[in-house]
Amino acid sequence: MRVPLERKVLNENDRIAGELRKRFEERGTWCVNLISSPGSGKTSLLERTLEGWPASRRAAVLTGDIQTDNDARRLARFGFPVRQITTGGACHLDARMVERALDGWPGHDLEILFLENVGNLVCPTSYDLGEAARAVLLSVTEGEDKPLKYPATFHHADLMVLNKIDLLPYVPFEKQLAIENARRVQPEIEVLEVSCTTGEGLEAWRAWLERRG
Amino acid sequence: MSIAAAVLEAVQAEAERHPGSRVTKAGLRIGEISGVDTESLRFCLETLVTETDLASLTFEFELCPWQRRCRRCGDTFPVADYRVECGKCGSGDTEEAGGAQMELAWLEMEES
Repeated sequence: MRVPLERKVLNENDRIAGELRKRFEERGTWCVNLISSPGSGKTSLLERTLEGWPASRRAAVLTGDIQTDNDARRLARFGFPVRQITTGGACHLDARMVERALDGWPGHDLEILFLENVGNLVCPTSYDLGEAARAVLLSVTEGEDKPLKYPATFHHADLMVLNKIDLLPYVPFEKQLAIENARRVQPEIEVLEVSCTTGEGLEAWRAWLERRG
Repeated sequence: MSIAAAVLEAVQAEAERHPGSRVTKAGLRIGEISGVDTESLRFCLETLVTETDLASLTFEFELCPWQRRCRRCGDTFPVADYRVECGKCGSGDTEEAGGAQMELAWLEMEES
């Protein structure tokens, strides 16, 4: 006997993400999910973002890692609420982890919430966290073909941040090819070129946050 | 691995709704751009299932192609080589029409 089910495998995650999204909208919180390989510069981008962030614009960060609270400590220096989610082995954040971390924290009047996912270009893609936008980082020390190798991740992203562009003169990275590859899997993806070291492109990144948020 | 765990939880929940039956096979529908590699998922499922009371469960995968629908002429077409323009009328104004699925489609049960 064959019983039709037609249910989404991650429907429990999607249900919680839907509740989170509703809660964010009701409270006027704009939420962005940052995804990349390990070492592409998610934490550095957040450091540079919070560094110049006005204290009156209430921001908070949830940062996911398999182990250690190193990233939370790096980010807490800027005076905004930061909470580490230690996944204890899971290679991505899921909506339940976010829901738990937001229980009673950091208050109701948040304008922007940054979700720094676990460094991984595969699994975070499948897990909706209730975010309003998804940004994927690709650094120029990686391959230009990553958008083609991990099409789902780039396909579901609103923005690609090409990071570490100060290193372009020293690495054989074809920037234009990387952008073309990203647009092949997601024609509507926006692209920003950023260096967290020199600060180039950070204004455009902040403007993107302003515009989308 | 957590996707495999979610699949098995869903199968177990459904099995509990049918006392007296045994689940023998689960049908999964996986989209081409879901981010899931079916062979990895199969490996994870077959590993995890040994620790459940569904030990004899087998899995069948249906791969769903990445498709887009043309907003101009309405044609639905498979995306080949990442080309998202409509093959019929050439319009670039197209929208998602499948390929991101990750669904537990059906279960096969027999009287136990």
